[in-house]
Amino acid sequence: MVPVIERDAVEKHQLLSKDEFMEYATLSQTMPGVIALNCATLVGRRAAGTLGMLVAGFGAILPTFALMVLATILANMIPQHGPLLGAIRGIRAASAALVLSAAFSLGRYNLRNAFSVILMIAAFVLVVLGNFGAPTIVVLSGVVGCIYQRIRRYRERRRDNAC
Amino acid sequence: MLVECFRLFYTFVKLGFLSFGGGYAMLSMVISEAQHFSVSPAQFADLNALDMVVPGPIAINAATYVGYRYQGLLGAAAATIGVSLPSFVLTVVIMRLFVHFRDNVWLTDTLSGIKSAAVGLIAAAAITIAAEVLTVPGKNIGDVFHNPIGTLSLVCVIIFLSTAVLNIRFKVNPILLTVLAGVVGAVVMS
Repeated sequence: MVPVIERDAVEKHQLLSKDEFMEYATLSQTMPGVIALNCATLVGRRAAGTLGMLVAGFGAILPTFALMVLATILANMIPQHGPLLGAIRGIRAASAALVLSAAFSLGRYNLRNAFSVILMIAAFVLVVLGNFGAPTIVVLSGVVGCIYQRIRRYRERRRDNAC
Repeated sequence: MLVECFRLFYTFVKLGFLSFGGGYAMLSMVISEAQHFSVSPAQFADLNALDMVVPGPIAINAATYVGYRYQGLLGAAAATIGVSLPSFVLTVVIMRLFVHFRDNVWLTDTLSGIKSAAVGLIAAAAITIAAEVLTVPGKNIGDVFHNPIGTLSLVCVIIFLSTAVLNIRFKVNPILLTVLAGVVGAVVMS
């Protein structure tokens, strides 16, 4: 969705410069929330103030919202017996595998050192065996990340001073 | 009704503010909260399949889906507005205060932890879903150690493993794999 916003907002309607847009595109990935929506609200506010932000934001939400409601209604109408139940069970098994696959592809980017691997395993174990909620783990891992990076920098500084 | 919708709204505002780094990390939090809104892991697997046909951000799809299942159209609106709220609030805050989010050391440190944990959270979500959808209907995954053959559905396990290998190792298109899984399921398990 972000490349589509770039094409329409920067090239077609020239609401902001390409540099500004790149700044917002990066920002929308760093700040919490839905990335595509972040990008829409930032560009909307830059182009036309608070009203622009609201219009851009709701414009980004509405099609997805309407289509998803429609899809859920249609999915509810599928009869849950006979061959269709078999198909649904097969699709659900494939879905679970694709979520696992998402973990793998994210892991290729995010797991770069021992610290991140340990954190990943800890998060997995705490949720599966410890019955922790995922939001709690997110908060805890954020705190752990903060503490770890601070200690790491402190030790690097001490090592540099010692040399 | 209104109380339930407010609970949906509040939960999704919370998840929105905690969701760093994309849709799947968000999805793992939604699934761990969804049990409070009577959405089962199997219904979550359905959501993941619907994500392929419905365009748009995964997080908004998930909010709309959970909200609709729990409280109909009003619930869907409450959850969707909730998950979207952080974008509006933070846009105003960032632009007004000129916060340099990107270069903020606190933020990048925090993100380094969350991004690593997110991988484990998504894997945990996959296991939670698998535990329910790979069992024979009416059986509990808890029995898997006493009676693995009777508890697990062999066809589902084979579909699960082959989909995982074909997608992770050989990059086979997920939509193709889902359609194949549906066909195999309809033929073998009817």
